[in-house]
Amino acid sequence: MSIAAVARLEWRRLAVRPLAWALAALTIAWLAWTFVLGLGQFLGAQVKLAGIADAPGFTDLVAIPLLAELVKLAFLVVPLMTMTQLAGERRAGTLALLASTGLSPTRIVLGKYIAVLGWLALWLLATLAMPLLVGAESTADWGKLAAATLGTALLLATLAAIGLACSAATSFPAIAAAMALIVTLVLWTIDRGAQAAGLSGGFLGWLTMATHLQNLLRGLVVSSDLIWFALAIALSLILAIRRLGADRERQ
Amino acid sequence: MSAAHLLNVADVTRRRAGRLAVEGVSFCLNRGEVLGLLGVNGAGKSTTLSMLAGALRPDSGHIELDGMDFARQPAMARRLLGWLPESAPLWPELSVDEHLIAFSRLRGASRAVAKRAADTIVARLQLGDLRRRLAGVLSQGQRQRLGLACALVHDPALIILDEPANALDPVQVGELRRLIRERAAAGAAVILSTHVLGEVVAVCDRVAILHEGRLRHDAPLHDDHGSDIESVFFGIATGAGA
Repeated sequence: MSIAAVARLEWRRLAVRPLAWALAALTIAWLAWTFVLGLGQFLGAQVKLAGIADAPGFTDLVAIPLLAELVKLAFLVVPLMTMTQLAGERRAGTLALLASTGLSPTRIVLGKYIAVLGWLALWLLATLAMPLLVGAESTADWGKLAAATLGTALLLATLAAIGLACSAATSFPAIAAAMALIVTLVLWTIDRGAQAAGLSGGFLGWLTMATHLQNLLRGLVVSSDLIWFALAIALSLILAIRRLGADRERQ
Repeated sequence: MSAAHLLNVADVTRRRAGRLAVEGVSFCLNRGEVLGLLGVNGAGKSTTLSMLAGALRPDSGHIELDGMDFARQPAMARRLLGWLPESAPLWPELSVDEHLIAFSRLRGASRAVAKRAADTIVARLQLGDLRRRLAGVLSQGQRQRLGLACALVHDPALIILDEPANALDPVQVGELRRLIRERAAAGAAVILSTHVLGEVVAVCDRVAILHEGRLRHDAPLHDDHGSDIESVFFGIATGAGA
């Protein structure tokens, strides 16, 4: 019950904050432009594609690249959305006030996480509406699109959890955003050194976020990928909860 | 510790920034009692109040509220208290009404109960004209009244007020004093931390004086063997008395 109360409070705050609206408007406009360009190129290449056996279709050439563009934007947008959630509250003194209502760190973190997930879900739905509207009139590969959407949703949920953990670690929202961005980039490219040395796969390959998203964007739903995202989310939220709990000892 | 008192604080110690901010503090508080907490800057008042509000955990010692141990049942115990921190922190993007409803709902009240509680406290603190106004555009005095309303909206058994008269005009200070006495008469215990001795004399039943993290004085306001609270306070603060 109190998780829902925290989520409602946080959601209300997100809804009236200019940053959330500005980010949503700017990114959706950019994604719409990307979609229109991709669709134009796809339509222009119809004659060429008709001559190729098993040619890539609307899903491969328009819908999934649009989701990949959303993922790129999410690297910046999600840390900006999560940076104030705990760091800003700690700085303003409202986090201690929230704790004084009897809420445990777990409820505070989960409530805030659910709220930001709600915003990200709307962001993803607004983006997805574009290929869905066009795809309904064409021959979209719905299975592949569903897998890619699942991958994008899991990635957004993971970035939100990382953002929240970074926000829990500091009292400065800007530092929280920078930390979240760096952690995300490290997780995204952690196997790059191994790849440069001619090594692929292995533990570093498994640890890399990109490996798991690529499978889902290709339409492959593999349990190990789902487990990776679930572990990353759980670990980040546990870190946020523990750090928040430690506030009462550390101050 | 006895559960007969509403609040039992037993031998509480807390280090902050490498030094003992509060050392071996013990006191009790009954329902209907108003305790004035005095001390010079750095005496340990805010640390003590933060521990009572659950924002800080004591390094050692116990705090019990209505028989519930803060360490074992922190959530249950904290639901019984209302806290107004010194600077009345608020969410600038939320309205007065949204604050009051949120603070009730965070403590588990249904929407209907929270709405009724908000109506009651708005009427009591004369916040009716400000209900739809965002906290970010309120004056300092209005923010302080909203902070007070948030602390009282769930009708807590223990009310902790840290410098509640900050930024209030004389009329509002008088109203605050009446409100404190009214809550105490209704059975709530109140801890009032202030630098203003007159505030304590006007509203408190008992006075506790903290100095260098230790409780140096805890007695009824009018039981100082003829010595007034001002001379007791200055005696302790300047090291001339105990």
